Amino acid sequence: MEQSATDFLTQCSKKRSGLIAILQKVQNKYGYISKSLVSDIAKYLGVSEAEVFGVATFYTQFRFTRPAKHNITVCLGTACYVRGGAKILETFEQELNIKIGEKTKDYNFELERVACVGCCALSPVVVVDKTVQTKMTSTKATNFLKNLKTEK
Amino acid sequence: MDFEKIRQTATMEWDIFANSKKPVILVGAGTCGRAAGALSLIDNIKQELQSNGIDAIVMQVGCIGLCYLEPLVDIIKPGQSRISYGRVTPEIVATLIKNYLVNDDPCPEFAIGSIGEKNIPGIPLFFEHPMLKSQVRIVLRKCGFIDPENINHYIANDGYSALSKALKMSPDDVIAEVKSAGLRGRGGSGFLTANKWNICRKQISKEKYIICNADEGDPGAFMNRALWESDPHSVLEGILIAGYAIGANMGYVYIRAEYPLAIERLKIGLKQMQEYNLIGENILGSGFNFDINIKEGAGAFVCGEETALIASLEGKRGMPRARPPYPAVSGLYNKPTVINNVETLGTIPYVILKGAENYSKYGTKTSKGTKTFALAGKMKRTGLIEVPMGMTLKEIVYDIGGGILDDKAFKGIQTGGPSGGCLPESCLTLPIDYESLKEAGSIMGSGGMIVMDENNCMVDIAHYFLDFTQAESCGKCVPCRVGIKEMLKILDKIKTGMGTMEDIDKLEELAHTIKSTALCGLGQTAPNPALSTLKYFREEYINHIKNKRCEALVCKEIISSPCQHTCPIDTEAPAYIALVAQGKIKEAFDIIHKDNPLPSVCGRVCHHPCEVKCKAGDGGEPIAIRGIKRFVTDYAMKSGLKPKISLKKNKSQKVAIIGAGPTGLSCGYYLRLEGYDVTIYEALPIAGGMLTSVIPEYRLPRKVFEFDIEAIKSAGVEIQTNVKLGKDITIDGLLAQGYKAIFIATGSHKSIKLRIPGEDAEGVIDSLEFLKSINSGKKIKTGKRIGVIGGGNSAIDAARVANRLPDTEKVTIIYRRTIAEMPAFKEEIESAIEEGIEIKYLTAPTRVITQKGKLAGISCIKMELGDIDNSGRRRPVKIKGSQFKMELDTLLTAISEQPDTSYINKKDNIHIGEWSNVIADKEVLITSRDGIFAGGDVVTGPATVVEAISAGKRAAKSIDKYLRGESLTGEYKVTRPSIYPKPVELSETEITEAKRPAMPLLSVKDRNNNFKEVSLGFTKDVIIKEARRCLRCDLETEDGKKSIEKKND
Repeated sequence: MEQSATDFLTQCSKKRSGLIAILQKVQNKYGYISKSLVSDIAKYLGVSEAEVFGVATFYTQFRFTRPAKHNITVCLGTACYVRGGAKILETFEQELNIKIGEKTKDYNFELERVACVGCCALSPVVVVDKTVQTKMTSTKATNFLKNLKTEK
Repeated sequence: MDFEKIRQTATMEWDIFANSKKPVILVGAGTCGRAAGALSLIDNIKQELQSNGIDAIVMQVGCIGLCYLEPLVDIIKPGQSRISYGRVTPEIVATLIKNYLVNDDPCPEFAIGSIGEKNIPGIPLFFEHPMLKSQVRIVLRKCGFIDPENINHYIANDGYSALSKALKMSPDDVIAEVKSAGLRGRGGSGFLTANKWNICRKQISKEKYIICNADEGDPGAFMNRALWESDPHSVLEGILIAGYAIGANMGYVYIRAEYPLAIERLKIGLKQMQEYNLIGENILGSGFNFDINIKEGAGAFVCGEETALIASLEGKRGMPRARPPYPAVSGLYNKPTVINNVETLGTIPYVILKGAENYSKYGTKTSKGTKTFALAGKMKRTGLIEVPMGMTLKEIVYDIGGGILDDKAFKGIQTGGPSGGCLPESCLTLPIDYESLKEAGSIMGSGGMIVMDENNCMVDIAHYFLDFTQAESCGKCVPCRVGIKEMLKILDKIKTGMGTMEDIDKLEELAHTIKSTALCGLGQTAPNPALSTLKYFREEYINHIKNKRCEALVCKEIISSPCQHTCPIDTEAPAYIALVAQGKIKEAFDIIHKDNPLPSVCGRVCHHPCEVKCKAGDGGEPIAIRGIKRFVTDYAMKSGLKPKISLKKNKSQKVAIIGAGPTGLSCGYYLRLEGYDVTIYEALPIAGGMLTSVIPEYRLPRKVFEFDIEAIKSAGVEIQTNVKLGKDITIDGLLAQGYKAIFIATGSHKSIKLRIPGEDAEGVIDSLEFLKSINSGKKIKTGKRIGVIGGGNSAIDAARVANRLPDTEKVTIIYRRTIAEMPAFKEEIESAIEEGIEIKYLTAPTRVITQKGKLAGISCIKMELGDIDNSGRRRPVKIKGSQFKMELDTLLTAISEQPDTSYINKKDNIHIGEWSNVIADKEVLITSRDGIFAGGDVVTGPATVVEAISAGKRAAKSIDKYLRGESLTGEYKVTRPSIYPKPVELSETEITEAKRPAMPLLSVKDRNNNFKEVSLGFTKDVIIKEARRCLRCDLETEDGKKSIEKKND
């Protein structure tokens, strides 16, 4: 179904400088920024769709497809990397049979990376559905998935 | 509202907590604490309080910086000092509440330290903790001590007093105070804060802005997050003061969305400020109007660059623009704008309130005050610290950080994030300030410090950072967008073993071009990680390129599997383990024997670097690779299997080898396979070198060695024993006999002297001589009490052999460092202790006590570990007045050995080194004389069996080339197994039950007075199960992946 944000947008500032904040609010409400939402925002601010899309794609926070049920974000900050973050990522890739930035076919899982969540002292860390999991190992990663898969 | 009134209200509220009649429980609930489970711990605490009927205040505080001990819980009993507990679990919570709150036992076993006037027996002072002792906490002084969501706590502890003071000063005076404090930008570039403010102040404009840059994008830095989460008002107060000083009425906090808790606390803070009229119109009745807006960054590293940040605030793509004009002149919406880092602003209230002098008394001439650092990576104590500028990296890494995790070797420290550099050990003595770090090729940056150890590959680290900056490049300028990508491609090439030496030059050229031409700071500094690693770790690059080696075992396409890459003789461990997993023992034996002519020996006494580096050992237990090999060779021995030996056509040339140790035997075997006529001359009555003359039979039974040597002999290698070089044969004589090449492999047999008085007394015996006598069946009288000096394998061998002699009552090993530094194999040390041998650590002999020229005892002194030397190990130093004596009947010395090359004389024209070692080329093993090669312990000094075999193999290759008239160069290829057996599939239960088996050992009682083998070996069932546990790292390379695909086709 096509989403329309015309009503929702009236709560937002009409200033051009507020574009990023609008995108954040829209994503918060709709989960992601669809084509039609880009068009709504462009109309609301009186700028081109290209401009809205251009800004949105510049920042890693914004997503343009439907999010999966569970989000797994592997931290690959320096501290996590030197303590084996890449191995953790590999484990998730193998277990889920998807690459970074992809979703499983059933939309149950999506796998992302983040540059740093600032939990460097407890590295390597993974953010599973917004909760930071610390001192990860491959075994811990596998177990996490097992638990998430069985919980319906 | 009058500030005095606000303060009174705040103090009243603070008193509820500070002078509470009820117990107070504080939980560190910053992001780190929460990640470690702080929130659910709060639930546990509340439950336990309820079930014990205790009324207490439970409060969340910020981060105190001891992140490695998270979650932290502090308890204050009325009238008592505060006690801090670390790594608290729900079970510990229950114990603490019952034992301390209900009863009166403060549970010192869980405590980190106490804070307050009253000492608590058994609990040290919190600020005496090694991580805290040398810190100077100015910015972080309130972190962990106040409720970050309660403005009253902040105000009651001097909060907003600086603002109140500043508003009574002129803006110029405020700037002057900051100037005389010498404060420089804590975001990394180190620009003088007061100068920036002054430029902005001088601009004539109705609108000016102050922006707090809280886009802490450096991976590995979290000091700003911690400050926001623990003490948000200190930064907010700093923003107000800065705004007042430059004449702005509007401030922005640009904070990254990845820090949700910081944003939440910032929002709460702003709301509370409004209630007290600390923002808005006419702040504190001063006529100063100011507002603060929060802008959430949407995830772009480049937005840490000030002009990009401004673009982002304006709602655009965060792309930088050229400077000048600088933002202080023309910034946000083209108005004069000051952009300061979180820590800079958080420092301002202290400077204004306590005065510039109280700040500038810390630090160095050019870098004043303190700096916070986020310690992470391979350090024992990770967390957040604040130290005076000028402290050395070494003090931070070792005194505060506690040294390297698992006592591994320090390799480098990365400072300054992706714009910074990696500094090696030689830079550890560097005092930290903006200038010295820059000079060394790194930067201060925002203060991330990440320590790397021997398992981190510096080429890979450079690749990591460039990959990061490449992905974060905004794409506006060519040098950054294209140049970094090209650098990355070259690094990729090197990482996969395809690099050439020209690539290094290309990398450097590109790096310098990007540095001088990129538009913004991100691009200009992006090459730093590559440049600094090329400067300090160039050897590692060359090792990847020329030798196809990655010693850190990171670059997968080079190493294939760590076990194979790390094996000095390239044993295809993953292949034979996989064959064993399928039950194919015979095939496994062929694979093992292909690369190792002494496999049964290695199955028992190899120091197995493969197991040390086995990936299954990361967070688990390594595969028992040596045990598997032993099983296979034992099986071959029992079932009469003969190794596959295929000889090439006989060649006419003859080669002589001096020494029938593992080096000489291996060289002879492989030359024979090439078809040469090989004779090995051995001075002793039996072949084997150290394997038969020194290593005791309980570790390596003679029949095991004989099985291996039979195969070597069956290939046609001739061994002549009791022939001594220099006596029975000479180099020139051998050449005259028609030998076309000679290989010297006479080992390292001479014990090094202790250099203490009295060591020539009767009863002081060189341990090698002792072991040789025992192994050859001679009887020596050693008496009842035997001392052994040394910590290597010879020392442990000598001690365990002495302990088996019928007259022996007590054996004591004397070693000057601790068990952690002992070079002997861990399992040998454990067995020695098990057998009742005493080891006196941190003890050094000073004098042999003699009576009529005979040993009577030994005088020793106790040592303690002192300063850290440059290798990162603590140096043993004598403890004054700790001398003591031991009575002994025999003293065995085993500190180390060196080669005995007295048989080589000047006219042989072979160069001898200062340790009387033969000098030979490291790579191709040729000596100074044409046709004469040397390898093994006689060249390197004492090494391990597998290293000896490796030298023999390399010598065989070199000699073959020499005899063919080819040029002598080493051959290097990336590591790969010759076959990829199909991986086995494990059932769920197998995965959960998989566990490394313990080697069955002969009982200690049964080892008395005999030399029976102690390790008994595994059974077939156990070994197959163990082999199935292998992770098959070899299948992770492109070749490995292809092999699986082929099998699945």
